[in-house]
Amino acid sequence: MVDYNRSSVLSMSHTEDEALTARAHETGTTAPVTRLMGQWATLLLIALMVQGCGLVVDAVQLVWPIATNELDAICARGQVRVGMAVEPFQPFVFPAIYTDEGLRVTGLDVELVREISSALSQRCGSTNPIVPTLHLIRFRNLFLELTEGNLDLFVSSISANVPAPGRVGLAYSNPYFDAGGIGGITARPEVAEQIGEYLRRAATSAADANVMTGAFSGLTVAVQEGTSAQFYAESNLTGITLVLCDSLPAAFESQNPPIDLILGKQPVLDYTVRRVRKDWELLRLESGKPLFLTREQYAIVTDAENYRLRRFLNDLLFRLDDSGRLAKMRQRWLEEDYAYPRRAATEGLPFAAKKMPQHYDQGQCRLARNRSR
Amino acid sequence: MKQVWFAAMVGILAIVAIGTLAPGTGWAVDRAEAEETARLLAKLLKAGRLVIEQNQQLIDDQHKGDKGFTPEVFEQQLVQEFRQQTGIDLLKIQSTPASIAIPPLAKELLPAFVLASKEVVRDAQVVINQRGIGYKNFIPATYGSQAAARFSKQSHVRLKQTTLEPRNPKNEPDDYEASVLKWLSGRPRAEAYVSELTDHGQTLRVIMPIYYVTTCLTCHGEPKGDLDISGYPKEGHREGDLAGAITVTTPLSLR
Repeated sequence: MVDYNRSSVLSMSHTEDEALTARAHETGTTAPVTRLMGQWATLLLIALMVQGCGLVVDAVQLVWPIATNELDAICARGQVRVGMAVEPFQPFVFPAIYTDEGLRVTGLDVELVREISSALSQRCGSTNPIVPTLHLIRFRNLFLELTEGNLDLFVSSISANVPAPGRVGLAYSNPYFDAGGIGGITARPEVAEQIGEYLRRAATSAADANVMTGAFSGLTVAVQEGTSAQFYAESNLTGITLVLCDSLPAAFESQNPPIDLILGKQPVLDYTVRRVRKDWELLRLESGKPLFLTREQYAIVTDAENYRLRRFLNDLLFRLDDSGRLAKMRQRWLEEDYAYPRRAATEGLPFAAKKMPQHYDQGQCRLARNRSR
Repeated sequence: MKQVWFAAMVGILAIVAIGTLAPGTGWAVDRAEAEETARLLAKLLKAGRLVIEQNQQLIDDQHKGDKGFTPEVFEQQLVQEFRQQTGIDLLKIQSTPASIAIPPLAKELLPAFVLASKEVVRDAQVVINQRGIGYKNFIPATYGSQAAARFSKQSHVRLKQTTLEPRNPKNEPDDYEASVLKWLSGRPRAEAYVSELTDHGQTLRVIMPIYYVTTCLTCHGEPKGDLDISGYPKEGHREGDLAGAITVTTPLSLR
């Protein structure tokens, strides 16, 4: 019976095809062929017109806009591919842990990804929600994976608009966190005292790079490679011994050389010395305010060509900000008293374990080469 | 066409025949078999929890990357622990001499639980082997929840960890479990277990208590209300208090 039915369906389709072809012949037209040729001719004409202007890709988009619409691609896939740093940037991204529900990662940035997925589900209008597929990979590889098209976006307290090699072709959303910046921590009270004394005597703005160069002179300073702290130190701080580390935990453990000072994302360092490494202290001004070497805003990173996705993210961030939701998110992750394993269990997101380095290693530290002292 | 029709009919008849004959050919599980299997499964889950507990320091060592605590190492230790507790060698379970009575159902389900446990440890490798990260929340309770869930998904027997004060809402006791836990909490510590038929004799429920030992008290001990490392308030328990139970639910109608 089944075979008989199947063959019936097949023969019906065949007949319909024949009927369509017959109709085309009857009318004396070759409509599908003509339409196709028309599209190619249009494309060729536009390509010729814009030749040399670098607008050929745009011309293709005019004819087949859907083919390159990244939002539609996400909807069709049912997944948004999100990159996150495997190195902890708490409270934005906490270390991956095990929970009753399995492997989970949590933090402010993870909550933001939940919001993005939820908004994408609404936008796609499908009955099935858009699932965020988290790829926990090394910080330095996030940029590479995005440019190779393996990610739709990534978040990990990324400082927006920091010019750096390897970031060509990327673009930043509007900021979701604007109280970022570069700060410092030390485990040696005499270092904190030396810097504080220098700043008091200089009696000028801490934002003055020359003052910071003087304050940090002679110190061994660690930064995480590829972060804005590295670019700041390389550009502004002479007279220091700069040490590049693969992660913040690696900087804490470095003995050769021993580290006087760690520079990094101020909110991350602040959280770390308050909750995790209480043997280190945050650099502060005489007023007690945290010392900022520069201010930064954190944003979501996308491919520069993905205009629609970026506009979508900017609209979402505006709505989250306008409704006060973003402020609440920041408050609950940066100010509230909590333990992240509990939040990971209740609201964390699973991640693609195969994408995570099998044995995540905090890595090592090494002296920066070709630096003028 | 006729051949296809004939083959389909034979298939359907075979399924109907097996279904009809099942009770008389050993598909029904008697209470004694189900009870012993449940007891051994609960013991095996307890042994797995103990293995995790014994390796907790290694798992949480932030100075070490690859811990070498592989699924195979876990299995080896689990098999050893279970053998010490029950005398049963899981590696030779299919060829166990008749002098050691292991129900056929247990011979089928115990290796299945070992496999589920190994999968849990395999999945956790990326977290266990992180260097620079201390506490990873891969503890007896989280291992137990996942191993029980995975095993139950693949089997008609349901394994669960439960307690009167669950940190994970999924471990909330049902009415029956709550009544047994309350009864157990008023009694001195014992290695005994509770076994009872429910659903008009259709389901066997076995509940094996778990008691707090010293290492559990870091998170569940005193001072009551203080937050432990994972962010939950400590319950203020003491060694020997009832921690909860492992419950095994077995339908007696079908294997």
